[in-house]
Amino acid sequence: MLETKQLSKDFIQGDSTIHALIDFSYDFPKGITAIMGPSGSGKTTLLNLLAGFDQPTKGEVHLAKKRIDNLSEDARSDVRLHNTGFIFQNWSLLPTLNAIENVAFPMLLAGVGKDERIAKAAGLLDSFGLKHRAKHKASQLSGGEQQRIAIARALILEPQVLFADEPTGNLDSASGDIVLELLKQHTQGERRLVLVTHDAEVAKLSDRILYFRDGKFERIEELTR
Amino acid sequence: MELINLVFRNLKSRPVRSFLTWLGILVATTSMILFLSFGEGLRKALDSEMQNFGPEIRIVAAGTSAFAAPLPELSPDMLPKLEALKDEIGIETISPLVVMVKGGGFSPASGFLFYGLDDQTSPELFLPGAKPIEGRLQPQPDGAVVGFKKAEQSNLKIGKTLRLGREQEVEIVGILEETGTLSDSAIFVPLKVLQDAMGTTNYGTFLLNLDNNVDIEKASQKLEAAFDGIEAQSMSEAMEYAKKSLRIGDFIRFGISAVALIVGALLIANTIMMSVFERTREFGLMRAIGAKQQFIFALVLTEALFLALTGGLAGVLLGYVGTIVINIVSVNYVGIALSALTVRLAFFALSVALVLGLLSGLLPARNASRMPVIKALGRA
Repeated sequence: MLETKQLSKDFIQGDSTIHALIDFSYDFPKGITAIMGPSGSGKTTLLNLLAGFDQPTKGEVHLAKKRIDNLSEDARSDVRLHNTGFIFQNWSLLPTLNAIENVAFPMLLAGVGKDERIAKAAGLLDSFGLKHRAKHKASQLSGGEQQRIAIARALILEPQVLFADEPTGNLDSASGDIVLELLKQHTQGERRLVLVTHDAEVAKLSDRILYFRDGKFERIEELTR
Repeated sequence: MELINLVFRNLKSRPVRSFLTWLGILVATTSMILFLSFGEGLRKALDSEMQNFGPEIRIVAAGTSAFAAPLPELSPDMLPKLEALKDEIGIETISPLVVMVKGGGFSPASGFLFYGLDDQTSPELFLPGAKPIEGRLQPQPDGAVVGFKKAEQSNLKIGKTLRLGREQEVEIVGILEETGTLSDSAIFVPLKVLQDAMGTTNYGTFLLNLDNNVDIEKASQKLEAAFDGIEAQSMSEAMEYAKKSLRIGDFIRFGISAVALIVGALLIANTIMMSVFERTREFGLMRAIGAKQQFIFALVLTEALFLALTGGLAGVLLGYVGTIVINIVSVNYVGIALSALTVRLAFFALSVALVLGLLSGLLPARNASRMPVIKALGRA
């Protein structure tokens, strides 16, 4: 479902080469996998490569039975749309759309008709306790509400892989708890959630933690939820 | 439809900037419509003038341009010679004419355009089917028949006297009904009276009607071969000449209006560029969710086209109102509707606005769609 083979990413800065990620091979099991490490350890680089935002210098990324690292930009967009959902730390909603339209946006990209997508988005918002905020735009929503809407959007096409980059990083603890609970609830069955975090408390809700340092995978810690 | 909805939302989120850009397109299109509508109006007036004009050939002194008032340079002995050629060439009627413009140049409002007609010629030669609304149709033997517009502008009434020269005066004996052509501003007087007023026995022109089935071009050639120093201009030739002049005018007017349009295009380009710059992160987010490059490209380009199309349409409408206002003024002043918004012109103006919208949107659309996702998201 989600696998890397000898994945490496170098960045050229002036005369020097920075090895942001070095030879990382891993087959992500179902459940929540947290990625931890200090700044510059290669967490974000890994997430960018897994989601197909960027291409590796070396190695392979396999997602939904497809090797995606060598696909074109548009082909990677297509894989992302139908197989993944992404939750960013902040700035995660489209500002000109209201909550329900934001949630339904991936369905619009997938060519689903308006009635169907609005009905599904409304159901999802309802289950997230945000029905009353459906017509509000991002600027009218709290940070916690925005993140819950971003999660609903990530889930609307029922992807098998979710990516979250510090999803509670900008939230107060109460809102953060709600967001984490939602992520936990929706990582069931075959679904995988790859969660990048600095926060050990957040990482504790995962099934395993991968530790990185200086672009290298250090160790794995298996947890029991 | 979904795309248009998104475009509309984006433009609405920056209302002042979008409105000012839209206004720029509107003004540019309106100015083009107004500039070019003069050419269309003159073309329509010319067509109408030609349809109302009877003679097929006019003989003038060589070098007289089509539609210019001919000077009295044709000698009187040409008339019997022309009469002698009637059967050979197939001439049905010969109408000798002199033309005098008095005061105000060619401005029909302030000037007076006199046509001197011989006994056999009636104002109907210029205005087929013309009827007097007052008095009589024929100026002969010593009266003047005034076109509708001229009578209205100069407050000329039956019985009033017009002075043509030091000793030549004519009394107004008829006022013609309105025809909507330039001849509405003319005054028809007897040929001899006008020749006396001009101090000449010459003619300015001979207007010829040909027998049916006579080839006009061949007849012109025969006439030019028969007389030295003359031109036998066919009306179709004159028409072509006038239309050529109009086309030159069209190019000049288009050139002037193009400046306004280019400014409009730059406005669109600037607005869209700024908008793309401000929304870099938004486009990155769309791409991260799964939008393809083509989607972003279409979104940005449609914004430019939307501004150009709606601004252009509003410009055409405003231009139409402008042509009505111009015509109200020009009909009062010169007696003809100078401006016309034809379907052809409306489509042309709209097409130019759309093409400029397209061109000004292409670069920002390309930039927005090709930006790497991690860079757009600020994750590089």
